[in-house]
Amino acid sequence: MSAKAVPVTRLIRDEDYEADKRPLSLALLTRLFAFTRPHARKRNWLLFTVVLRALQLPALAWAIGATINGPIAHRDTRGVLGAGLGFLGLAVFTLVTFHFRQRLALELGEAVVHDLRNTLFRHFLRMPMSYFNRTKLGRIISRFTSDIEAVRAGVQDVLFVSLVQGGQLIVATALMAWYDWVMFLVVLGLAPLVWLINRFFRRRLSVAYRVVQESWSRITATIAESVSGIRVTQGFVRQEVNAGFFTELVTDHSKYNLGVARTSGIFLPLLELNTQFFMAALVVLGGYRVLSPTTHVPVGTIVQFFFLANLFFDPIRVIGNQYNQALAAMAGAERVFKVLDTVPDWEDAPDAGALPVVRGRVEFRHVVFGYVKGRSALHDISFVAEPGQTVALVGHTGSGKSSIVNLISKFYLPDSGTVLIDGTDVRRIRSDSLHRQMGMVSQQNFLFTGTIMDNIRVGRPSATDEEVVAAVRQLGFLDLIGALPAGLATKAGERGAGLSLGQRQLICFARAFIADPRILILDEATSSVDAMTEARIQESLLKLLKGRTSFVVAHRLSTIRQADLILVLDHGRIVERGTHEQLVAADGVYAGLHRQFVDTASHIIR
Amino acid sequence: MPRPSKKRLTSAFNQSGVTAGISNRTLTRRLLSLAWRFRMGCLRVLMLQLVLLTLGLSGLSLTGVAIDFLYAQVMPGARAPHWPFGWSPPARWSPMLVLLALAVGVFGLALARGVLNYLFTVKSTRLVETDVVAALRADVYAKLQRLSFRFFDANASGTIINRVTGDTRAIGNFIQQVLLQGVITALSLIVYLVYMLSIHPWLTVACLATTPLLWWTSLIFSRQVHPAYLRNRDLVDDMILKLAETVQGIQVVKGFAREPEEIARFAAANRAVRDQQQNIFWKVSLFTPTVSFFTQVNLTVLLLYGGWLVIHDQLALGTGLVVLAGLLQQFSGQVANMAGLANTAQQSLAGAQRVFEVLDAPVEIQNRPAPRRVPRARGAVQCEHVSFAYERDEPVLEDIHCDIAAGQCVAILGATGAGKSTLLSLVPRFYDPTRGCVRVDSVDVRELDLDDLRRNIGLVFQESFLFSNTVAANIAFGHPDASREQIERAAQIAAADEFIREMPGGYDAVLREGGANLSGGQRQRLAIARAVLVDPPILLLDDPTAAVDPHTEQEILGAIENAMRGRTTFMVTHRLSTLQRANLVLVLDHGRIVQMGTPQELMNRPGLYRQTAELQFAAGRGM
Repeated sequence: MSAKAVPVTRLIRDEDYEADKRPLSLALLTRLFAFTRPHARKRNWLLFTVVLRALQLPALAWAIGATINGPIAHRDTRGVLGAGLGFLGLAVFTLVTFHFRQRLALELGEAVVHDLRNTLFRHFLRMPMSYFNRTKLGRIISRFTSDIEAVRAGVQDVLFVSLVQGGQLIVATALMAWYDWVMFLVVLGLAPLVWLINRFFRRRLSVAYRVVQESWSRITATIAESVSGIRVTQGFVRQEVNAGFFTELVTDHSKYNLGVARTSGIFLPLLELNTQFFMAALVVLGGYRVLSPTTHVPVGTIVQFFFLANLFFDPIRVIGNQYNQALAAMAGAERVFKVLDTVPDWEDAPDAGALPVVRGRVEFRHVVFGYVKGRSALHDISFVAEPGQTVALVGHTGSGKSSIVNLISKFYLPDSGTVLIDGTDVRRIRSDSLHRQMGMVSQQNFLFTGTIMDNIRVGRPSATDEEVVAAVRQLGFLDLIGALPAGLATKAGERGAGLSLGQRQLICFARAFIADPRILILDEATSSVDAMTEARIQESLLKLLKGRTSFVVAHRLSTIRQADLILVLDHGRIVERGTHEQLVAADGVYAGLHRQFVDTASHIIR
Repeated sequence: MPRPSKKRLTSAFNQSGVTAGISNRTLTRRLLSLAWRFRMGCLRVLMLQLVLLTLGLSGLSLTGVAIDFLYAQVMPGARAPHWPFGWSPPARWSPMLVLLALAVGVFGLALARGVLNYLFTVKSTRLVETDVVAALRADVYAKLQRLSFRFFDANASGTIINRVTGDTRAIGNFIQQVLLQGVITALSLIVYLVYMLSIHPWLTVACLATTPLLWWTSLIFSRQVHPAYLRNRDLVDDMILKLAETVQGIQVVKGFAREPEEIARFAAANRAVRDQQQNIFWKVSLFTPTVSFFTQVNLTVLLLYGGWLVIHDQLALGTGLVVLAGLLQQFSGQVANMAGLANTAQQSLAGAQRVFEVLDAPVEIQNRPAPRRVPRARGAVQCEHVSFAYERDEPVLEDIHCDIAAGQCVAILGATGAGKSTLLSLVPRFYDPTRGCVRVDSVDVRELDLDDLRRNIGLVFQESFLFSNTVAANIAFGHPDASREQIERAAQIAAADEFIREMPGGYDAVLREGGANLSGGQRQRLAIARAVLVDPPILLLDDPTAAVDPHTEQEILGAIENAMRGRTTFMVTHRLSTLQRANLVLVLDHGRIVQMGTPQELMNRPGLYRQTAELQFAAGRGM
């Protein structure tokens, strides 16, 4: 590509960007640690094995050096046997400890994560509807996946691995200082150098990784859109252009990867070089001290240092690595806790009570409501729906139909004024007791993964198979379900075979029907279905509405015409109300809408 | 356009023989031949590694020599050190000078290793990331862009995305982790072994006696744990699915007060993940200590047998015992690595298969040799006894015959599954008819240059896909070099100019994923502008008002009316208000044309058209 290729997609990062690291914070740590409290026994045993292992590892290294310096150097065959078997015994003991150290840490991490996930899930469900309207699903999922995984790594590895390594470092240091303090000073002098190298390169690496990550998101976003938009791409003959752009993207990405390789290609050998430098120093300095007549340092000391040096240098590297993981865990934990700290915009009042069996009278008294402060979606709405009445809500998109429905179902609370059910302010009613007596068919006709039977039963989990069949029969579409490959056992939802829009809508009707609610809320789907299905839907709709107080966000004249009360909404106000006949006679907005429709229709029929 | 059920088409796709399982041997052979293309790069990387190994061993043995030298100096009875490389220090050198030389040697070797290591990292990354993975990704993507719709119908979008991302990575892994790393591990094992044998053959054998056991343990472990990990991934997926559904269906959950049930459902899935992990944890924390146990046993044997040998002066303390102890610690790790290779290989093969599937998939719809160019068609469309089936024996269209003059507007009516969208998708050759032919300006579309044909056709879908790019880039999608003037004119025709100007950023406003920051009506009007920009003589509208409410429909219909002017238009629709604007209505039923005529003619005949009209009138859809 000679010219700069035309991008297929652009990433908007501003609000989607989430930091992958965060400085250590004591508050976060103690809070995270609190989650280990229910598993205190496990945690305490784990701490015990950690201490044990920090002692055992240097002891093992020391034992090899000691055997070589002692019995072997002194040609003591019997002593070699004893030392060798002693070493084996110690090794076995160490490994048994290792088993518990590892298993307990893994189990503790999982236990904490398991509890956290349940807590999070419960917390999400406490949130009112407004929260879900402003929070993206992807965000919620990443709380449960990447963030929780970072926390798990923090609990499982960071703390305990660092403790083992730190302890090992201290013991190794003490041993070295005890054997020969001059050579120990050399080791000690190298330590800050190793630490600095570590810091410097890790910082550069994390910058390099971020660049890689960003170019990777560009790649995945582009592929995802290219797949979803393949029909558009081929229809508009954009294949070549897109492929050229994508080639540039992947080439860039591989360049960034190479950048990471360059940095880590210097970093790791440099660390290794440190250890080797120590070995060289050991040979010269140690040799000098062994050979010098004044110092009386035995050769064995050099052998000991040879084995102990790794116990000193490795932990510095490992802890450096763990430190990075710890920062990631902090970022994850912070986001998880931030969710747990999010206070629901509102919750049921403490004195809210359960609703007795509802008759179904719904009243709005001077209700004002807005989704955003300062911008009202409803102004001064008042009306009464008597038990068993059907109320049709008519108006343009954004006129306030859905807001009214949202308030009746107590998904939102009014800013002022009151919504009354059977004369009780909804604020004084517990949401769950209200919802148990209410049925809902939403516009999106959402089905869960599972069979059609399962989905209908969501309306009333205790319903028997026979009751589900009876409900479907009463609504009059048993034949349609029967025609499906597995009848009521046909899988629905994301992974299931595609049910048609009309079928999904009918299943949602049955779901609401089986709950046998006193109050029914129905948001008619706007999408058109074919004529035959349309007829079936109208037929079951009437059966569903019968005998309940129903609120219908209506698009069908047939539904509207049969309503006991029509509320015509415009910009959040009720501009007209009455029955079909009354409104047509009044010759207002509704009559206009109706006339426009009849004109078109009669024009065709003529 | 049409989206028939995935299940049915997967089998259809399999029948074409593309996805039919390729055997592991064939796959391996193909991967090897892919690697063979980069043989020089691979060879360079391997040679570097060989030099690195030798340098490492030399450094280690120099340290050993230093220890032996010191022992010889301090203990008069001790063995003289064995000098490597046939070099020995001149006798006049003082002991300190010898030690200094050794130290310089150790450090010098380490320095050389550092430099070579850097080269190794950079070269192997370039080989795998740039030469193999990036090139593959570009190829797979370019191929995907040209693949016929059958492929996209048959595969879920997640797996298609993964073919470009994860699966190409798997092939990179095959070269990096299986091929290169396998050879490197084998190489280092051989070098270690040769070196150890050169120190003391019997001691080596004794120390490595447990190696077959270690190998066997590792093999068993990876065979047991690998499926457990796969199972765990499924369980986690299941848990996340439950979460996602609860959030997506939150209205239903809250509306029916089903929170307790959802909490229980999630908790059960969560528990399943945890419980299944316990088993993995046990195995992992048995395996890791066992591997170290073998190392420790080897070290014990070394201490006992090696110690005895040193005592009897058959082995040097430094170059023998100390160096061997260092080597043994690395040896076990390498063996355990080798055993894990089988799993990596298996995973790479699965990924490779999916990549090759794409690269091998035939592009069903292609140009004939020497296709006819059509810079601009007049726009007459004929269907001549066209039949079509996605799958054999399940015809979707049968014997469709019609003749549309340039500039006419044709409405297509029919029940779900009658074949309306399928009929539309035959015109731009998204599929080819099984029998009969579609002609544009009296030429069989299969004779025409495919790109030319599609440039002559504008498309608006039921739910139009918009890219997360600027408004202008979206409108200019079919003609990226279009001037701002052209873009604005297209937007004006589609009645979109006004709302675009009201957006912050106007034409340069960036749309969110799928155009989420627009209303349904606005999205459709952008899609119409996109179609109009290329000024096509033929316009295909696949039920563009299906997903919007009746009020929004009016906005779109106005835009459509502008857009149709002077073009041959095919429009799928159920809506009466739209149907009556057509010059000709085709009524489809089960893939056949059952009625054809002007709206007036059809209104006077009994049939689906009149039935629909009457039903809609009665229902009053459109309030």
